[in-house]
Amino acid sequence: MSGALDTPVAARGGAGGAGTVSVGDELDPLVIEVTATLIVAGAIATRDFMPAHHDRDFANAQGAPDIFMNILSDTAYCSRFLTDWAGPDAAVRRLAIRLGVPVFPGHTLTYTGSVTATRIEGDDGIVEVSFRAAGDLGDHVTGTAELSLPAARVAP
Amino acid sequence: MSEDTLDDQFAALVGTIVSRGGPQVAPDPVNRPMIRHWAAAFGDANPVYVDDEAASASRFGQVVAPPLMLQTWTMPTPELTGIAERGGSPVATDGPGPLDLFDRAGYVATLATNSEFEIVRYLHLGDVVSAETVFEDVSEEKQTRLGPGRFVTWATTYTDSAGEVVGRQRFRILKFRPEGVPS
Repeated sequence: MSGALDTPVAARGGAGGAGTVSVGDELDPLVIEVTATLIVAGAIATRDFMPAHHDRDFANAQGAPDIFMNILSDTAYCSRFLTDWAGPDAAVRRLAIRLGVPVFPGHTLTYTGSVTATRIEGDDGIVEVSFRAAGDLGDHVTGTAELSLPAARVAP
Repeated sequence: MSEDTLDDQFAALVGTIVSRGGPQVAPDPVNRPMIRHWAAAFGDANPVYVDDEAASASRFGQVVAPPLMLQTWTMPTPELTGIAERGGSPVATDGPGPLDLFDRAGYVATLATNSEFEIVRYLHLGDVVSAETVFEDVSEEKQTRLGPGRFVTWATTYTDSAGEVVGRQRFRILKFRPEGVPS
């Protein structure tokens, strides 16, 4: 994989990375240090006011040891993980996640993944990715995604 | 009630609308402040969400909303008073809800298992999103490690103000009878 894709996304600008994506490429890992603040910020930014995502007493009463990350935050981090790696010209076309163990404050969440297939559709290069987000208790999320990139950036 | 009758009742849910009162219309159009708030909460520095210049130079040609923000636009405006007493439900409801049949059948506990999105097009500033959710599938009773339960799949179709589909979501939960708890 080209080094261009390793540059932080903000630095790449609108043109996207110059690197070519091929089957077997590893995505840049995304590590999230999970705090109560981060969980609450994610829940409110996604307009999910379920108390289990911001009120520890409520979470305790439901049998959870602490507040836990909401699902809309999970899909948000999945999308960040995908486009941090693929660049701002990448469009997410499909995302499918299976939910595993919960994530609580103090845990570390690590997203890793790889390219499983590529194809060209007209001007679009389609990239299929398989990934997981591992937390302290095991796999928090496992999933697959499909991205579209400019065809020139994808090795068919 | 007999198991056959229950199966029939669950089968009859398939295709019916989950959301009360028809499609849920986003309380606000797609807008910069909510996008900026979202991007900050998740540390997402993708410039096409917030930077006009970078977005214009990108494939998208203009600022776009984060694709997985789709579900956020139609989340209901919460009524905070009484939220805990309502079991965390963000809005007050009158009468039995769509999952009432599951609770009455003893499947009182809920575990979300899958969320799948198809993004048909990226949203632009000013788009007003509506969501309509139907029961897509209710499984027969299965023995799970948590107890006997049924997998329930909801399919949500998101449309813009012209009625064009902008995305689809499939969400699956397990409604189950916790082991050791009599139904």
